[in-house]
Amino acid sequence: MTVWQEEKTRIGGKHIEALRARFGSSILDETWQAPDQVTVTVALNDLPEVVEFLYYQQGGWLSTVVANDERPINGQFAIYYVLSVEGVDESRAHEKTYVMARVQIPPHQPEFPSVTPKVPAAIWYEREVRDMFGIQPIGLPDERRLVLPDDWPDGLYPLRKDTMDYRYRPEPTTEDETYEFINVEGEGIVQVPLGPLHMTSDEPGHFRLYVDGEHIVDADYRLFYVHRGMEKLAESRLNYDQVTFLADRICGICGYAHNVAYSTSVERALGIEVPARAEFIRTILLECERLHSHLLNLGLACHFVGFDTGFMQFFRVREKAMQMAEILTGSRKTYGVNLIGGVRRDILNEQRTTTLKLLNELREEAARLINMFVETPNVVQRTQSIGLLEKKVARDYSPVGPTLRGSSFARDIRVIHPYCAYDRVPWQVVAKDGCDILARTLVRAEEFFESASMVERCLEDMPEGPVLTEGFKYQPYHYALGYVEAPRGEDIHWSMLGDNQKIYRWKCRASSYNNWPSLRYMLRGNTISDAPLIVASIDPCYSCTERVTVVDVRKKKATMYALQGNGTLLHRPQGLAVEIICSYPLIFTARLIAEMCGQEGDRRYAKTL
Amino acid sequence: MLKLFKEVLRVGTATLPYPFEPIEQMPGFRGKPHHDPEKCIACAACAIACPPNALNITTDLYQGFQTWSLFMGRCIYCGRCEEVCPTGAIKLSPDFELAVMNKADLYERADYKLAACRNCGIYFATVKEVEYVSELLKQSGMPEADLTDTLSMLDVCPECKRKNDVPKMVRGFHKEGSDGH
Repeated sequence: MTVWQEEKTRIGGKHIEALRARFGSSILDETWQAPDQVTVTVALNDLPEVVEFLYYQQGGWLSTVVANDERPINGQFAIYYVLSVEGVDESRAHEKTYVMARVQIPPHQPEFPSVTPKVPAAIWYEREVRDMFGIQPIGLPDERRLVLPDDWPDGLYPLRKDTMDYRYRPEPTTEDETYEFINVEGEGIVQVPLGPLHMTSDEPGHFRLYVDGEHIVDADYRLFYVHRGMEKLAESRLNYDQVTFLADRICGICGYAHNVAYSTSVERALGIEVPARAEFIRTILLECERLHSHLLNLGLACHFVGFDTGFMQFFRVREKAMQMAEILTGSRKTYGVNLIGGVRRDILNEQRTTTLKLLNELREEAARLINMFVETPNVVQRTQSIGLLEKKVARDYSPVGPTLRGSSFARDIRVIHPYCAYDRVPWQVVAKDGCDILARTLVRAEEFFESASMVERCLEDMPEGPVLTEGFKYQPYHYALGYVEAPRGEDIHWSMLGDNQKIYRWKCRASSYNNWPSLRYMLRGNTISDAPLIVASIDPCYSCTERVTVVDVRKKKATMYALQGNGTLLHRPQGLAVEIICSYPLIFTARLIAEMCGQEGDRRYAKTL
Repeated sequence: MLKLFKEVLRVGTATLPYPFEPIEQMPGFRGKPHHDPEKCIACAACAIACPPNALNITTDLYQGFQTWSLFMGRCIYCGRCEEVCPTGAIKLSPDFELAVMNKADLYERADYKLAACRNCGIYFATVKEVEYVSELLKQSGMPEADLTDTLSMLDVCPECKRKNDVPKMVRGFHKEGSDGH
């Protein structure tokens, strides 16, 4: 396993000392993968206490949980709880390090004590471990599947090394949906499901809102309808260099962030030093990506409050950010410029000049639009004090990115664990304490300007030199973390190399994964008309098809309507709870009601609603 | 509101009349890979590098052909093929308008003749690859004697070379031994 030999350069040894002082003999082993990455193997039964201690006493945030089938290596399963340990108060003085609390699990008894009752942030991860590896978290409060579909056979665990080929498609075991949504009962409580394709999210997700009149009492949702099995694919078919191109395709918006996270994880595991110029190029491209991503979200924020002119204007301006990417990488999206060891494409002088020119135009135009945006009364009314993410909930669930920074935590991976060239350019972390949609949106707006100045500084200060390190040694079973502050928050990748020019295990965790579990709390107490806006405020994208179900709990009757991209209904309903549907945002309510009320002539009626 | 109207008036129409007018690509845009069958030696470097398996090399040992093929339905325009090609036969073009009416039109292929081994008669590499190696060797600045020796073995397959080399090496050892070592 990887060992970082130089003790002097290690960061965060104090946290490990504190851990040893508290748990003593439960700490079985300690290995360092990088100056700020340490794996601590702990006794299985003490796992929840160790993670709780790191999380609440040492100021840890749960970054990811990685299960790994290490039976071919050492005969055991292993689970790594990856925490970014940052000290209890927000002082900069604390050493900040990634601690991986590792447990080994014997294959004849694949169970481990669940951490979720002590650290709620672990809930999704433990459900995923259960699905993909068949290792049971004992005491997990929510035993529903997370990743696997309802019709997936029991006992087939995709990520175990000995279970299945990556091309295997098992026969579906059931025709029906067997997922049980939480059951909220009470006088007058009505379920309003949104989904399985949600208008605000690119990925399909099924939301179920429990409403009392207009107000959301609770919410539940399921996602993973589009689980693509990328981790399995990367481990089976691609070599370690090719995975960079797959990582580009994890997300259609922030793919490059994943690409850098993956590349740096392998580079750290192998101890490869990336040339300084390549680090600057990566920083420039990451910030270009943030520019277009934040403009996209600001545009959508306009769209969801019914300010469509603003939406169009933001998308017009965003085009300049896309052009910058096209100039610098040869592609508007899926930049594909990374290789293990650096980048494949240098930035030439001419490209630099054109980019700087475009950047100035972009900044100027965006500034005008953002001013207009915040001055539009409609926008403020729809977003202020809506979708509150309380500090306590934020602390418990480890959300990331603007979602967290809107709730007053100035937590940004670019500062906490500097990577690429972020420690060589001046910039400010943006945080707001409104805890509402407005705060999250304003964080993005201000970050846009920070990114723009960072791109500018990097283009100006970029050192000369090579852009790719070649001729490194591939070392089996070394592993490390790679992390990037993507536009939506921390993306974290954990890669272990195999012995066949491939990756043995690749765990990539996108930022939204950490944001979804806290969404339930943001939805509570708001009206259903705000639900799509709240979902959008954690910044997923929108989809062109929407299905609406209205369930009356008292009558136990559900009806499902599909709304097509052009706003027309696939099947026309016969007289129903128009009241509920009226509360959807203007853009599609008007069309929907017009559809429901009958023919074209009734559109006038819809408008008056 | 007034500011917004002003902005809208100032900007005017932002959309382009595409597809009725061509659209400009930035220099260095990564579009459809362009394959030059003349330059290609079917060495398979591109097929090995290609992340999505859009590029493939298949070998027909009976007919004596090696087939290079590209399926545009899988291409991700990463340009790894261009990067690894030893002869510069593949270059990404700015072409991005790739819709076809027929799936078969998304395939491109080129067949290359294989060279048979002088000894055993089994096909082992494309004729063009052998020629390419021969040219490389001639320009490598090897001493004349070594060059003639290596060139004479070019049309022998690796398997036969191994079989040939072992007795040769053994003879060499004996010879050295008899020289008094």
